[in-house]
Amino acid sequence: MMKSELRTRALKALNKKAAYGPDIDISQYELEEPRVEGDLRAVKGKSVLRAVERVGIDSLKRTGYLQVNETAYYKLMEKALSKYGVKVMPLRIALEKLDLAKELAWSLVSPDYDKYTAAAYLYGGELGYFVYVPSNVKVPIPIYTCLVLTSEKRIQFTHNVVYVDDYSEAHVVTGCAVPHGLSKGMHIGISEFFLGKNSKLTFSMIHAWSEGVHVRPRTAVRTKEGSEYVSYYVIYSPVASVQAYPTVFLDKEAKTYMATIIAGEGLGVYDLGSRAILEAPHTSAEIVSRVLAMDRAKVFARAEIRAKAPKSKGHIECLGLLLSEVAEIQSIPVIASERPGAELSHEAAIGVIAQEELEYLMSKGFTEEEARAIIIRGFMSIEAPGIPPSVRAEVGKILDLVTKYAIG
Amino acid sequence: MRDLLRIKDLTVAIGDKVIVRKVNLSVGRGEMHVIMGPNAAGKSTLLAAIMGLPRTRILKGSIIFEGVEITNKPCYERAKMGIALAHQIPPAVKGVRFSEVAKALIERCGCSDHTLMAKMLRVDKLLERDLFVGFSGGERKRAELYLTMIQGPKLALLDEPDSGVDLESLSIIANVIEYLIRKKNASIILVTHSGAILEKLSRISKTHIMINGEIVYSGYPDDIIPIVTKFGYRKSVEILLGDSR
Repeated sequence: MMKSELRTRALKALNKKAAYGPDIDISQYELEEPRVEGDLRAVKGKSVLRAVERVGIDSLKRTGYLQVNETAYYKLMEKALSKYGVKVMPLRIALEKLDLAKELAWSLVSPDYDKYTAAAYLYGGELGYFVYVPSNVKVPIPIYTCLVLTSEKRIQFTHNVVYVDDYSEAHVVTGCAVPHGLSKGMHIGISEFFLGKNSKLTFSMIHAWSEGVHVRPRTAVRTKEGSEYVSYYVIYSPVASVQAYPTVFLDKEAKTYMATIIAGEGLGVYDLGSRAILEAPHTSAEIVSRVLAMDRAKVFARAEIRAKAPKSKGHIECLGLLLSEVAEIQSIPVIASERPGAELSHEAAIGVIAQEELEYLMSKGFTEEEARAIIIRGFMSIEAPGIPPSVRAEVGKILDLVTKYAIG
Repeated sequence: MRDLLRIKDLTVAIGDKVIVRKVNLSVGRGEMHVIMGPNAAGKSTLLAAIMGLPRTRILKGSIIFEGVEITNKPCYERAKMGIALAHQIPPAVKGVRFSEVAKALIERCGCSDHTLMAKMLRVDKLLERDLFVGFSGGERKRAELYLTMIQGPKLALLDEPDSGVDLESLSIIANVIEYLIRKKNASIILVTHSGAILEKLSRISKTHIMINGEIVYSGYPDDIIPIVTKFGYRKSVEILLGDSR
């Protein structure tokens, strides 16, 4: 589609409400001129470090791409990753240099999907990361990217495009965070991921926001024959509202595993889900979520698997644990089949901590608080397949933090 | 010698229902006491009350452990003092690895022979699974006994270790109980409904029969077990009480 046509469509969609989540008036936020700085060493300010620590990244040196508000830094890991032929750069630069980037950007997420994608298209300046992994490469180190919002009343736009070429494997880890105390802000993130034939991408995302921040990620993934997409999403902070419903389109023999861990607190609205479209035979999808709801948090845990081909399989498992008298969890699993011969199932349950389990652990010498922590930590433990041990260990630390929050 | 455990005139309720009535029991160091009785006699509730599980309510009486009154102490403090309960049916705890709980207990209790115990009870292969999730009857009993043993208890409360287990597991469990007494000098209160394990145990100090919440007869195992096996609990008590009069 022509650029001018996309622009016209985006302009028309600027007031188009999203299907889910509270409607946010974008005009209340200030826009910032998008900039590319290049070297990560130019990053100044302790607030950035404080923010990235919240998503388990203890050093900026490991980060392949960092975006602070509307400024992109990216060169530090360039050398280490170029050894494997991996290209990591701001999308804005990729769009200038690479035809592939031009071909891919906005091909999975349409600018007129809703008002947030429209604003990102019109005002985002195409900041965000572009990652390209050439064919037949297994990248042994995780590619860390970090998106940080430090200024008050700003919108951060980010547009990420990842292409893992045929027979390759990569792990992308993205942390999105604000330093403690940011009172007002908005983050709109567009992500488009492409998996070549028989490739594998694991994508771990950790969110740590604050009470005044609205977050609207828009993610779509297209997989080619025989590929595998694994996503692992954790949010453990307060937030004003977050709404996302990433969608994976699966081609023949492709599979996906999508895990979501939500620890909702404060007055936040957490409307989060995963959707898989089984477009061809022998595809499979598994969607798993674990929800903790504390304080007055309102959590919608959505999941959808839609089968458009026979011999496809899907399973949804949504489990919730209500830890407050006034919080709310709504679990909304949807399975839909458009062809005979697809096997789809779901299970959903919302409960409280079982007294029997607490009592059992206390009889082994754990205090009530320790016993609660063990049960909550266990509840959130999801063994996502293929997540590298280093990332698993980092997520483990985050889940320890979540547990601390949950037991007060 | 001062008793390790002394229970005086203990009456226990669960909710509003009185389950254990006026029980008196003394257990010395290194002794094994067996409590037998029909279903719903109050045997498990007595062990739960000694452990201090929150669901039990002491209405009357006292529990003294190593000379210290523990009647109102929370169960985790009693566990730290050296009392361990092997539950009859431990709950499945999804997401919590068996090995994680074991590791925490080994660290706290300083158990040095946990590897040997894991081998004796054949739980090595279960350690990386979620605690009791999908375990068979025998696996569950062996795993629970392992968690009890690695606490290095001074007093082990074993609630029906012989119910719902296969013969092989029964022998393993009996060997481990003997090991606990012989090598660890632990004291044991073992509750059994079926009595299946008793013929495999050689070190029983005393046997008690409990009916309707009361210990109605106490004596030496050789005097009691053959009669119970032949006549059942209620009739046996009549016979035994008749003999003693």
